[in-house]
Amino acid sequence: MDEVLILSRVQFGLNIGFHILFPSLTIALAWILLYFRIRFAFSADPAWLATYKLWTKVFALTFAMGVVTGITMSFQFGTNWPGFMNKVGNIAGPLLAYEVLTAFFLEATFLGIMLFGMNRVPGWMHIFASAMVAIGTTLSAFWILALNSWMQTPAGQILQGGQIIAGDWWRVLFNPSFPWRFSHMLLASGLTASFVIAGLSAWRLLRASEDASARKTLRTGLVLAAVLAPVQMIVGDQHGLNTLEHQPAKIAAIEAIWRTERAVPLVLFAVPSEDEHRNEYAIEIPKGASLLLKHDADAELKGLDAYAPDTAPVAPVFFAFRAMVGLAVLMLVAAWVGTWATRGGKLPPRWMLWTLAAFTFAGWAATLCGWIVTEIGRQPWLVTGILRTADAVGGASGAQLGASLTGYVITYTGMFLAYMVVLTHLAGKGTQA
Amino acid sequence: MSLDLPLVFAGLMGLAMLMYVVLDGYDLGVGMLMPAADAREQELMVASIGPFWDANETWLVLGVGILLVAFPVAHGIVLGALYLPVAWMLIGLMLRGVAFEFRIKAEGWHRELWNWLFWLGSFVASFAQGFMLGRYITGFHPGLGYFVFALVVGASLCGGYVLLGATWLVLKTQGVLQGKALGWARWGLVWVALAVALVSLATPFVSQSVQAKWFAGFPSARTVALMMLPLATLAAGWLVWATTGRIKRGEPEPDWMPFAAAVAIFVLSFAGLAYSLFPFVVIDRMTIWDAAAHPSALGFMLAGVVIVLPFLIAYTAFAYRVFRGKARAGLYDS
Repeated sequence: MDEVLILSRVQFGLNIGFHILFPSLTIALAWILLYFRIRFAFSADPAWLATYKLWTKVFALTFAMGVVTGITMSFQFGTNWPGFMNKVGNIAGPLLAYEVLTAFFLEATFLGIMLFGMNRVPGWMHIFASAMVAIGTTLSAFWILALNSWMQTPAGQILQGGQIIAGDWWRVLFNPSFPWRFSHMLLASGLTASFVIAGLSAWRLLRASEDASARKTLRTGLVLAAVLAPVQMIVGDQHGLNTLEHQPAKIAAIEAIWRTERAVPLVLFAVPSEDEHRNEYAIEIPKGASLLLKHDADAELKGLDAYAPDTAPVAPVFFAFRAMVGLAVLMLVAAWVGTWATRGGKLPPRWMLWTLAAFTFAGWAATLCGWIVTEIGRQPWLVTGILRTADAVGGASGAQLGASLTGYVITYTGMFLAYMVVLTHLAGKGTQA
Repeated sequence: MSLDLPLVFAGLMGLAMLMYVVLDGYDLGVGMLMPAADAREQELMVASIGPFWDANETWLVLGVGILLVAFPVAHGIVLGALYLPVAWMLIGLMLRGVAFEFRIKAEGWHRELWNWLFWLGSFVASFAQGFMLGRYITGFHPGLGYFVFALVVGASLCGGYVLLGATWLVLKTQGVLQGKALGWARWGLVWVALAVALVSLATPFVSQSVQAKWFAGFPSARTVALMMLPLATLAAGWLVWATTGRIKRGEPEPDWMPFAAAVAIFVLSFAGLAYSLFPFVVIDRMTIWDAAAHPSALGFMLAGVVIVLPFLIAYTAFAYRVFRGKARAGLYDS
């Protein structure tokens, strides 16, 4: 691979990986805020209002981070991946434009009213504005996930004069992997937000155990996580089966299956060797993969050899998948134990508060791992079977890329540190912030 | 006759870009004016743009989005040629966007630092936008002269945004700060007048085709008709000067007049620019019809635009109505 391709991929990976952190939190947080707002409207309990105001600040900050990093992404399609727009612009373009039209303006405009308009509009209008922001963030996810899913499992398009155009927009939008990917992402957002809320509330309770707002939000976060975590596992499993059907090469990389065989073992842990096409130090469950993926212990599974040379690098996909699943299990346990420990308004013991505080960003970590699996797992394709990543790159020289990448790294590092400082500061002071 | 979709989308893209320049222009301008105010005034300045800046910036995404959707080939060429200024602009926009949020939550020297980053981000983004415009209207020609021209346009746009920002503050503030803003508006106007004159004079020299569009067969009826544009711009500039003067002297004058006149300068300059460029999307190289996307994509898009745009305009107007009147400090406590 030449340096322009590598640098472009590093830069885009950095941008998209950094960007996804913030929508992952805001998509679900918008709905949770709406819940806080409605609880206040019905109870007139000032603790709910204080809770709403505190988490609105977190939301505003996170939303701003998402907006500015998102604008960056929208430009990079043109600056770094001109081949992408040339080839599939007739599909990607309208989907992105619909996101701007239906989602961005909605959320950005009503966010102003939601944040600063509480005393300027009637209560019902303020709730309406909060609802519009929540709908906007979810709609935004809808369009982006539709485009991403189409790139993974294209459907509904026709080839005309070297260009891809839409034959059937309905099939483009609701392509085979879209329903699972969209639900998987929404649930990931729900889990991310509930762990952030529970974790930061635990952090606050470690300092001020009588904080009524923090107790409410700790409970809200834990109960939500306890409900969503098992649902996410079922949806994730279905998403995996869907991938096996439509992107089998990705599954072969995830499970580190090098050769097509019958009765394939499930590799729990190994160090995949890209050069020798085998797993070292493997811990396996005999016939496990065949049983899991085909529900038949002796079934044949296609290995990476069946798709060569169009295969993804195995190690990052293999490890990221295991990290994601491992985190999911830990999150499930933490949410259930935490829900039990907070029953009837109880305060959990300090060690559990510390544990929950440590889990604050578990959702982020799992979401990032999931995206690494799905995005590296589809390589070398940018649009499966239609456009290779290497054929889409261009537009900048290595020196320009070096300069812009340096700028982004510095900016993002500064932004991230500042975000973390403010977040922990807000959480530490609680509703007195 | 069937609908000329590329033309429709060129119009929509122009509209989105104009909306962006005017709307984000005033909040970028307010950002650039931050160091000229004291701490209490800075709170009011930030409060005056707080509910709006986010939606304002969305127009940029829409404008670039339409370029991407409707003219995908040009999108790659334009953004590829402007690679580094685009990166600068994005970093500037990121800095100011997050600085806006961080400065509200920060205290002491931290707030001071975010104030400066807010200023820096606003300035870098504005300058980069002007620089890009300068590169764009000269067809991305290499050479020192063209580069200097782009730098001048960059500085000019900063002046324009300062004018918009200052007149916005005249509208949204009162008392001492409004008095300061009136002064800033006049400085901005002088800056803009110089810049518009310089750029208008230079543009025909750096671009043959622009020269031809304005002065072909000079003196002709068309040139005379076209001269209405600079004359109207001049009148709008005079209006800014006159109305800021009247408000300063305490004579009756609606406080939105200077802002409206400043917007008129932008709309007229934009019209002149659009006339110079049309029908090219990459000047002298690619027309909007050469670069247009497939009709299937444009048709699908147009349906969305037609349905969504009225709602968009309605709730944008609603938001401006909710936050009408003078800005108050203490954004989150209002």
